[in-house]
Amino acid sequence: RKQKDNDTASLSTPSSPDALPAAAASPRAPPARASRRVASPGPATARAAPMGRGGARDGAAAAPPWHSLPDEVLEHAFSFLPAAADRGAAAAVCHGWLGAERRSRRRLAVANCYAAAPRDAVDRFPSVRAAEVKGKPHFADFGLVPPAWGAEAAPWVAAAADGWPLLEELSFKRMVVTDECLEMIASSFRNFQVLRLVSCEGFSTAGLAAITEGCRNLRELDLQENYIEDCSSHWLSYFPESFTSLETLNFSCLEGEVNFAVLERLVSRCRNLKTLKLNNAIPLDKVASLLRKAPQLVELGTGKFSAEYHSDLFAKLEAAFAGCKSLRRLSGAWDAVPDYLPAFYCVCEGLTSLNLSYATVRGPELIKFISRCKNLQQLWVMDLIEDHGLAVVAGSCSKLQELRVFPSDPFGAGQVLLTERGLVDVSASCPMLESVLYFCGQMTNEALITIAKNRPNFTCFRLCILEPRTPDYVTRESLDAGFSAIVESCKGLRRLSVSGLLTDLVFKSIGANGNCLEMLSIAFAGNSDLGLHYILSGCKTLKKLEIRDCPFGNKPLLANAAKLETMRSLWMSSCSLTLGACRQLAEKMPRLTVEIMNDPGRTCPVESLPDDSPVETLYVYRTIAGPRSDTPDYVQIV
Amino acid sequence: MELELGLAPPNDAGSCGKRRSAEAFGVKKPTLPLFLRDDDDDGDHGNGEDDTGDARDCEISMGNKRKRLVGWPPVKSAHRPRSNSHVKVKMEGVPIGRKVDLSRHASYHQLHHTLRLMFPSSTSHHGDPYAVTYEEGDGDWMLVGDVPWEDTVMSAKRLKILLV
Repeated sequence: RKQKDNDTASLSTPSSPDALPAAAASPRAPPARASRRVASPGPATARAAPMGRGGARDGAAAAPPWHSLPDEVLEHAFSFLPAAADRGAAAAVCHGWLGAERRSRRRLAVANCYAAAPRDAVDRFPSVRAAEVKGKPHFADFGLVPPAWGAEAAPWVAAAADGWPLLEELSFKRMVVTDECLEMIASSFRNFQVLRLVSCEGFSTAGLAAITEGCRNLRELDLQENYIEDCSSHWLSYFPESFTSLETLNFSCLEGEVNFAVLERLVSRCRNLKTLKLNNAIPLDKVASLLRKAPQLVELGTGKFSAEYHSDLFAKLEAAFAGCKSLRRLSGAWDAVPDYLPAFYCVCEGLTSLNLSYATVRGPELIKFISRCKNLQQLWVMDLIEDHGLAVVAGSCSKLQELRVFPSDPFGAGQVLLTERGLVDVSASCPMLESVLYFCGQMTNEALITIAKNRPNFTCFRLCILEPRTPDYVTRESLDAGFSAIVESCKGLRRLSVSGLLTDLVFKSIGANGNCLEMLSIAFAGNSDLGLHYILSGCKTLKKLEIRDCPFGNKPLLANAAKLETMRSLWMSSCSLTLGACRQLAEKMPRLTVEIMNDPGRTCPVESLPDDSPVETLYVYRTIAGPRSDTPDYVQIV
Repeated sequence: MELELGLAPPNDAGSCGKRRSAEAFGVKKPTLPLFLRDDDDDGDHGNGEDDTGDARDCEISMGNKRKRLVGWPPVKSAHRPRSNSHVKVKMEGVPIGRKVDLSRHASYHQLHHTLRLMFPSSTSHHGDPYAVTYEEGDGDWMLVGDVPWEDTVMSAKRLKILLV
């Protein structure tokens, strides 16, 4: 009896009918989510056997050998696999399973648009109904990637239009989506239902008009933090009067005006509308009248929340919100007059998510409001809440799972509004807290060690001390000890961002203890190549590594070249890399694309430069598509 | 491949890794400094690292304000404090002006990109070189690019694109 290695896509079949394909134990599947429902032997398969082509088998016969299960049976079994990683593991069992899995896959997530060619993805998974594609590297969010870098959605839309006519959902993140793309989407997929664009650019309200006019079955139009050019086309008016299927409408990032009467009629007739996120152009009194039309809303994003205080507007708001019994998620640009906040008190108890990260409201009214939100799971807020506000959160929001605190004055005089105290309090009192993004002015090792001890259940810990290389403000030491405590204690940590004064030693700890770590962000840290070597030689599950302004050089990169193929991507900017090492890396690792980016002002071809030329930005990613052909002149592929 | 790593940085006896990285891009720097080194906070770094005398790019004293680095702190432009930063943009020879939201742009590169889209070369200048200028609070017209991007966002009242 031969033992099959789970991971190999084996051509030969298991020799014994009892050999359980151990797909569920594949190391690629995250342990906590490994499915245990992949076909187990015995009665279940005997019951399933009469389905499909094997109809001649009667129920009382012995269970069929694994390799001759009809595709329909396999596809049905695979439909229970919740995670793409599990489906990938199942596909690796044998050729038969590979075929059945890929032909029946309905959801495809392409985390790097350059990792595979769009046509290949469409050919490989012909039945996809929902696709998500991500483009630019994460640091593009902070202006580190100049314009026209690439990540065009057009090839993906074209391939999808060709090969996935039944496509229902499309999601793009950090990509360039043009009006032509939107027009093609509107005209190519007769059952198109969900469009989600996150941090994209390149389109205008004219493209939106094509969507609203052409997608008769649209359920979700979700525009998050895109840069949309306003062509003053009345895109909202293009929804036909007969159109009623909308469930999600989010245009919070749109700058321009919308026709309010049209919006109101749309909201009135879409009885299934659950999520409505307005933009800044909609004033408060209009929000009230929309709520009266849509009391079934689950998620609301308010528009401009500043208005002079009128007692009748207050009463209107209060009445409108009182009718919204299902409201669970609230967000908005609250340059709020704090006097209006009590109008919302009736929804506080039901809220699970509160996003005030655009809100400059502060003071006791804000804190009183949050303290009434006893069931809050997700809180995004500005540092205007201050330590004492977070202390109140700690005492009131015992179900808190995710906290994000943003800086209100990122470039300012360094007036410290928020210290480590706030985070210590919240992590001490909120037992379910597992995800944190925290911008603050100061930190100590003691605080981090306390936090680590209180909250070993962190899955995401991102701490940004605003001033680079800030040490422990009490001891003046580096924050190595604090962050080491975090990674040692939080065994399930998947995402980590470090900041403050850090030496190579913290990376030794991260490398050794970050056994679930998938994404790591490092800035202004470390003292030598050793730091990077610790990371690349440890961190077994690392997928994305982004580094800026660290003294890391060529050696650890070349010594750990093979590691890069196990990762999705590596970003290194303003480090100590030279061209020669990048050339060596590219030569050694043909399945990586090694991209060099220099100042857009300089366009001399990379071939002419000597090996010791400094490299300002390196972006490396694995790909089965070969080098991309759409690089701008400031990007060179080595 | 053998990796030799000691605790000291590879090619230097005594200076820290930071200076190595400084040397790495001290050469061939373009005229527009993309970031500034924060050399005034030596007092905060108790580890004996020698920061002084390391200035390469221009150091601009900004009083109490934090020095501006590109992309730092890592907040998305949507989360940055929004002033009403739509400014008028006029181009020499083009009758109709545009408006651009400076706070939606994270860098000079992004601004130039937007301006190229707004004023494509077909309109008047046919690809001729141009200069982007801005009007400051006291009425002076300045060339964009000399000061950190964030300062321009704060002080620019309107833009004018001149043919060179």
